Amino acid sequence: MRYTPEELMAVTIAREVRDGETVGVGAVSPIPAAGCMLAEQLHAPHITLIILDCAEYYPFPAGSSELHFLAQRGELDLFFLSGIQFDRRGNFNLHVIGDYYAPTVRMAGAYGSAMLYYMAHRVILFRDQHTPRIFVEQVDFVTAAGITPASVYREGGPALLVSPKAILAWDKAAGGWLLDRVQPGSSVEDIKDSTGFDLRVSTTVQPATPPTEHELRVLRTIVRKKLVPSYPEFVREKIMAR
Amino acid sequence: MGLPFIAVRGLLGSDILKHRPDLLVQENPFNPSEQVVVAQPLRPDVAVFHALKADRWGNAVTPGRRDDLMMARAARRVVVTAEEIVAEPLSLRDAVDDTFLPALDVDVVVHVPLGAHPCGLGTLYDRDDAHLRVYLEAAKTPQTFQAYLDRYVYNVREQPEYWEQVDHENR
Repeated sequence: MRYTPEELMAVTIAREVRDGETVGVGAVSPIPAAGCMLAEQLHAPHITLIILDCAEYYPFPAGSSELHFLAQRGELDLFFLSGIQFDRRGNFNLHVIGDYYAPTVRMAGAYGSAMLYYMAHRVILFRDQHTPRIFVEQVDFVTAAGITPASVYREGGPALLVSPKAILAWDKAAGGWLLDRVQPGSSVEDIKDSTGFDLRVSTTVQPATPPTEHELRVLRTIVRKKLVPSYPEFVREKIMAR
Repeated sequence: MGLPFIAVRGLLGSDILKHRPDLLVQENPFNPSEQVVVAQPLRPDVAVFHALKADRWGNAVTPGRRDDLMMARAARRVVVTAEEIVAEPLSLRDAVDDTFLPALDVDVVVHVPLGAHPCGLGTLYDRDDAHLRVYLEAAKTPQTFQAYLDRYVYNVREQPEYWEQVDHENR
C-alpha cells in the first residue's frame, strides 16, 4: 500500500501510545495529533488526549498554561517535540542555526518545551526529514538537554526519535541514541549516511512493521475528519484520500 | 499572580538560561540537593487584546480559551480593541467557549471592526495570507520594515485609509 512519510510517522507514533495514558500534543503538531487520535481509535481508547488548539481534545477550563502545570505536577505521561536540529546527546534545538546574535535561521523559540522535556514521563521526538544537517553531532543551541546531572529534577525525558527513515531509541545508561528499527524503504546504511553523528546500531535492530491496511483506513477516515478543523492544509496535502 | 518570583522545574542545561537575566538558577530551599530555576515576574507596561465584543464598562470576550486573562493581569495597562461594543453589560456567561476579561482588569476599550487584520479572529474571519506575506517580506531588514510601518501605520489616520493601502497591495 502507498502512504506518505507523514502517514508512516503518524502510524509509528500511534503504536507507541499506551492505553490509559495522559497524552499531550502541542500546537502546530499535526503528525503526533494524527498518531494519538489513531491510537485512541485502535488500541488505546482510554487515553486522556490533550491537543493545544483543538477544541475537541481540550479538557481544561483555561488556557495552555493548564497543560504546563499538569506536566509540572508530574501528571503528563507522554508528550511530543520536534526541532530544527537533534544531536547525539539527546539535545534538540528550536531556536537558531548559527550564532545566537547573528543567526542564519531564527525560529519562534521554545515556549514550554524546555520544561516539558524534563517533566513529561516520556517524550517522543519527531522530524519529517532525516538528513545530516538535522541529525548533528552538536546542536547550535540547546533548547532542552537530553542528559542532566542528578541535581536536576526530572520526571522523564527522551524515549524515541522518529523520522521517515528510522526509529531511534534512547539508551539512558549510555546517554545516546540507538538505531532500533528501520522504517520501510530505508536501510541501516542509508540511515547511518543520513545521520551527522556516529549512530550506534542496536544488536536487536529490525525492520519496522509497515503501516497496515486497517491503520491507514482508520487514519484516512475517522482520524482525517477529526483533524480537519485544526489542520485542513495538512489533511489536504499529507493524508491520502481513500 | 503578583508574586515576587516563582520557581519552575526544567530549563536547567538549556542555553535559554545564557540569554535570560530574568531566569536564575538557585538551590531549592526545601531540598538543598535540587537546583531550580527562579523566574522574575513579567510586567509589561501595556497589553493589547482584540475582542469579539466588549462593553463600555470594560468587560470583554476574546476568542478561544487562552491565557489572555493571565497576560492582562501581568500588564500595568490593558487596552482592548473590539469588533463590537454591546449595549448591555457582558458577563462570564457570554464567554462559555471563549475568554472573559472582566472590567476590573481592563483600562481602555476601542471600537475597531476587523481589528485583528492581518491575523484572523476566531471563527469570525480568517487570516489574510497575502498581506502576511507582504509583512514577512518587509520584516527582513530594518529599512523595509520602516517602510512598512510608514505605509500601514504612521501615514494612515483612519481605518478607511488603512484598507485603501491593503487593497492596493492585494491588487
